Amino acid sequence: MVLKFKNYIRVPLLINTPYILSSQVTKATNQNEVNLLDFIQKYASIGTWEFDLELETLDWSSETKKIHEVPIDFTPNVESGISFYKTGYSRDTISTLFTKCISNHEDFDVELQIVTPTNKDKWIRAIGMPIIKNNVCIKVQGLFQDIDKKTKDTKALAYKEQQLRKTFENTLVGMAIVDLNGNWLDVNKSLCKTLGYSKDQLSTMTVKTITHPEDIHIGQKAMIEMMRGQREYYETEKRYISKTGKNIWAQLFTSIIRDDSGEPLHYVAQINDLTKIKETSKKVDQLLATTEDQNKRLLNFAHIVSHNLRSHYGNLDMLLDIVKMDLPETTENEIFPLIGLAVSHLGETVENLNEVAAINIQKDLKTEPLNLLENFNRAHSSIAALIIDSKTTVSINIDPNILVKAVPAYLDSILLNFLTNAIKYKKPNEPANIEINTNIVNDFVVLEIKDHGQGIDLEKYGEKLFGMYKTFHKHDDSRGLGLFITKNQVEAIGGKIEVESKVNEGTTFYIHLKKHE
Amino acid sequence: MSKIDVACIIDDDPIFIFGAKRMMELSNFCKSFMVFKNGQEAINQLKPIMLNGKDIPDIILLDINMPIMDGWEFLDEFIKIEAHKSITIYIVSSSIDPVDLNRAKRYKNISNYIIKPISIETLKGILEEELQE
Repeated sequence: MVLKFKNYIRVPLLINTPYILSSQVTKATNQNEVNLLDFIQKYASIGTWEFDLELETLDWSSETKKIHEVPIDFTPNVESGISFYKTGYSRDTISTLFTKCISNHEDFDVELQIVTPTNKDKWIRAIGMPIIKNNVCIKVQGLFQDIDKKTKDTKALAYKEQQLRKTFENTLVGMAIVDLNGNWLDVNKSLCKTLGYSKDQLSTMTVKTITHPEDIHIGQKAMIEMMRGQREYYETEKRYISKTGKNIWAQLFTSIIRDDSGEPLHYVAQINDLTKIKETSKKVDQLLATTEDQNKRLLNFAHIVSHNLRSHYGNLDMLLDIVKMDLPETTENEIFPLIGLAVSHLGETVENLNEVAAINIQKDLKTEPLNLLENFNRAHSSIAALIIDSKTTVSINIDPNILVKAVPAYLDSILLNFLTNAIKYKKPNEPANIEINTNIVNDFVVLEIKDHGQGIDLEKYGEKLFGMYKTFHKHDDSRGLGLFITKNQVEAIGGKIEVESKVNEGTTFYIHLKKHE
Repeated sequence: MSKIDVACIIDDDPIFIFGAKRMMELSNFCKSFMVFKNGQEAINQLKPIMLNGKDIPDIILLDINMPIMDGWEFLDEFIKIEAHKSITIYIVSSSIDPVDLNRAKRYKNISNYIIKPISIETLKGILEEELQE
């Protein structure tokens, strides 16, 4: 984009065309003079006219007729002449000036609009001067010039200039015109606001004086390249120092303006204040670092806790073994077996904790394509005794060709967990009836496990369903870590779990597993 | 009947030491014990024994997490000592961290990694392995 501004362009407001204004013009007898006059009239788009008050005739030269866009044989009179002027300002003005010229002997030189026979507005310049004889005006002679294109161009330019000026002044982006030595020639409001200096203050400074000392070198090479014509613009980020001494992070976009011969004139700079963005992203980075750090410490903590708990559990377990061997008589009571049970539960809890910590620590899990049906059947047969004992019916409807992307140990654990859960939470008075189906949804295999069991009140417990140590059923064996671990495992291999449930009707889990293509 | 004369326990946990000793006694694991509370103490005491060649332990049960000198540091020092007798080293730790398990595999002197708690069965297993050699 090349921007040009008022102060740096000379807009020709006065048209410096040589006028030939002489009472002799129309009376030229010399053939050469006539030819020269025609030549001038044609190329300068200037016609002549003359009004004779005694004869009441109005003469237009051929160029004047051409400007009016009338045929060469057109004979004007005062009324028709004036009627060419656009109604309103133009016609009123010419009438007044013409009258004053005759009565007060005043010259006139005015830019007005006429309307051509094809109904086109046209800017013209009308010049008139009275010819006085015995203190009475006998003729009015004048010039008539087509200034339409120039006027329209000027007006269009002025309009554009105004548009750009307003854009420059009012845009939210800081903008500046900087000369080749780095002096601020012009700055807009936004830049003043960003830097804290007024326009006048900046005009006495250079770009260098308000640039952060460490960033002075930035863009110097590009500036030289622009001066040499090897580059038209450049973009960078650098810091300025505001009036109050604050660091201002800015995105700078500089382009160079050249004259017609390509000589560099000045730079146009756009300066976008990035301070807030930088500060915000810094905060985000800090928060991220803090979160990562906390996460690490949390995992570390889980690790230490589980390790230390493990060693205490190990000691308790070992001591119980010794007591059994060393002092068998002290174990023959109600309390000893309970201690044994408590210790073994402690061991399991610690095991589970370790597992959770391990899942979250694992980074590059190696998943492999696994046949879902085969794996399901394996889980199924590993609890065959439980299924037979509990008279559970399992109807398996899994496409034998389905392969999922999973970690083998995780998939085993996931399938086993859902299967045992479905049996565990059967309706109290009837054997469990489990339906297994699969669906393909986009890149996922959705394994559907429907248990027709007790169901869970999701409104009440939904949020806690997959939480650590939450149980919803009064069941001997519900310790509540199963679903939590399972969820962690499913998510670790890129899947997710959805659940539908109704109390006394049963629960359906939808396990989304990544499909192997 | 035991092939193991001297068993060495390096562990900072007095309960483990008590338990391990008791279990060894009950299972007739060895004839005598040597107990050190950390790696440094073990190195300091074992060095002259190794050089003397008298009462060198047949087996070492080594904990990992110990103050002053941990199990790994002990191993790095211990393998520098010239041995006149093959010594079986077992890591006995509560750590189930795969990092520790993998690290143990890198030492060819380590026979096995035993996760605490140890039981009579574990000790019997070790004894069988020793007798097979």
